[in-house]
Amino acid sequence: MSDLRIIDIEKRYGAVQPKNDASFMLRPVRLSIREGEFFSLLGPSGCGKTTLLKLVAGLLEADGGEIWIGDKNLTNVPPESRQFAMVFQQSLLFPHKNIEDNVAFGLKMQKVGKKQRLKAARDMLEHVGLSGFGSRFPDELSGGQQQRVALARALVANPRVLLMDEPFSALDPGLREEMRELLSRIQKEFRVTVLFVTHDRDEAFALSDRIAIMGEGALRQVGNARELYERPDTTTVAAFLGLRNILSGALENGRFVSSDGFLEVDGISQLADGDYFMVIRPEAIKTAESDQSGHVRIQGIVQEMKYSRGMYSLKVRAGNQLLECLFTTAQAEKTTVGEAINLLVDMKEVRFLKE
Amino acid sequence: MWRKSKPYLLLLPAAGTIILLFFGGIFDGLLKSFGYFPAIGETELTFAAYDSLLHSGSFWESMALTLRIAALSSLLSAVIGALVALALFFLNDSMKSASPKAWHRLFQLPLTIPHLVAGYIIVLLFTQSGFVSRLLAAFGWIDDITDFPVLVNDPFGWGIILTYAWKEAPFVALMLYPVLSRIHGSWREVSRVFGAGNWQFVREVVVPVMMPAWAIATFIVFVFTFSAFEVPYLLGVTYPSVLPVYSYQLYTSGTLSDRPEALAVNMILAAITILLGLVAYYFSKRWNVLKGWG
Repeated sequence: MSDLRIIDIEKRYGAVQPKNDASFMLRPVRLSIREGEFFSLLGPSGCGKTTLLKLVAGLLEADGGEIWIGDKNLTNVPPESRQFAMVFQQSLLFPHKNIEDNVAFGLKMQKVGKKQRLKAARDMLEHVGLSGFGSRFPDELSGGQQQRVALARALVANPRVLLMDEPFSALDPGLREEMRELLSRIQKEFRVTVLFVTHDRDEAFALSDRIAIMGEGALRQVGNARELYERPDTTTVAAFLGLRNILSGALENGRFVSSDGFLEVDGISQLADGDYFMVIRPEAIKTAESDQSGHVRIQGIVQEMKYSRGMYSLKVRAGNQLLECLFTTAQAEKTTVGEAINLLVDMKEVRFLKE
Repeated sequence: MWRKSKPYLLLLPAAGTIILLFFGGIFDGLLKSFGYFPAIGETELTFAAYDSLLHSGSFWESMALTLRIAALSSLLSAVIGALVALALFFLNDSMKSASPKAWHRLFQLPLTIPHLVAGYIIVLLFTQSGFVSRLLAAFGWIDDITDFPVLVNDPFGWGIILTYAWKEAPFVALMLYPVLSRIHGSWREVSRVFGAGNWQFVREVVVPVMMPAWAIATFIVFVFTFSAFEVPYLLGVTYPSVLPVYSYQLYTSGTLSDRPEALAVNMILAAITILLGLVAYYFSKRWNVLKGWG
């Protein structure tokens, strides 16, 4: 098995780096990415995900740790000998080469014969839907087409790992969606291991087998999309995944009381006493008309209602908290902004976190 | 009407002066090269001066020397200039300190020195009694300063070639550096990830990108050295002399009857320069190497 193993890799930036990066440090990261897996590094800008990707590529020198692929230690292997491929945020095609030559570049560096490499390039261009574009130059293609060429250039060299650094972030939303579908299809077809960097939750959720959430130069949590969203380990992860209903409070004898005293929940016997954060996903909140068993009742005032893709997002003032809830159109039609509302929280969907 | 013609009218004094002096001079030279010389009573147009020149051994020797000096000077300047530009490019890439800027300034220094002064520097450095030969003799690498090869005022023209190489290499570097600085920093990363080492990166990306500017810079150096006067006059020998010096020698020989030949040499120089310009233009269009820069 040619799993990619990242063992305690770390990077510190010294004083020669730009001032704003002077204090940045990638804390030791340990990850194992299975062969053929689509693995994403998800986190806000400046969290160290691109640094980690460049360390894996060999474009940055690590201050500690090792990179293995299968039973080969790649830590001291230069990037040109790692047999990886990379797609960057910009397509970075060579403007003086035509599309075919751009795609065949990696094969040329591997000393593959001209006929063979150009044939491979043409085949790969067909896979990304650009057959017949081979003799054009990069400036004759649109941004989306250029990024398809960059993808073809990366895949044609048959890389051990395909590294992708926010490859779709410069494209407009429609094109981004299209490129995601193309990438997903091609990744499954070629069974290539992908390490994908993004700050876009939806993109990571749509594409990845597993995701590592990063923040402040450290790995926060690794899991599949559902695990991360439904069972975040920390409030930082929860907040990054868009969960805004995070209520601080204390648990004593199975009873959680929020800091402002507004919310009291009984029957939490599985946790030890102490300070906790109660995380309520917007989907776990329903109107009080629904079945009430296993639920906690909350009263509040509707502050805001926004329609988005078939659902209403409501902000409800409950005590000092502003809770975010997701309602169907039918549920939302029965309420208006400024009106009092009775809510039920499904306790099965609630998570208590220590930090 | 006035608004449309105003810019042209404003340009007229400058344009008129240039046209009068440049084209007027060329036209006057052309007429005189055809033997039109009212001062000595010659008003007929003939090809006699050209005919005499093309049958003169001195002219062809001058032509060969001029071509050799121009070709070697351009080649040396092009190679040294490209190496300097590449060195600055990689220096800039690998260092974050102010050093590349200092190096940049240092390489620009020869550009500020006039050709005549550069010629004198070469005289001071490379004559047999010059600084270099004395230094070599002092260190015992040569027994006597007369053992030092004749590099200045030599029949081959090494002194002239050295001067031009020293003066024009920074010009070539300066023409190439902005083109190289357009090379995206991430292209190096792309090429490394796809398996290209330093040399392959230079061959596959850097050289093709700088080729058009390189060819144009070399052409400019060639045309300049082909028709330059002061350095060959200072550092060359009396015979054979390069074409501009040969023309000067004919013009100041004391007999007015040599002047049509002197001007015919200048006309031939101008014609060759125009011809070379057309050839360079044709190839730059054909290569199409700028395609894709957008």
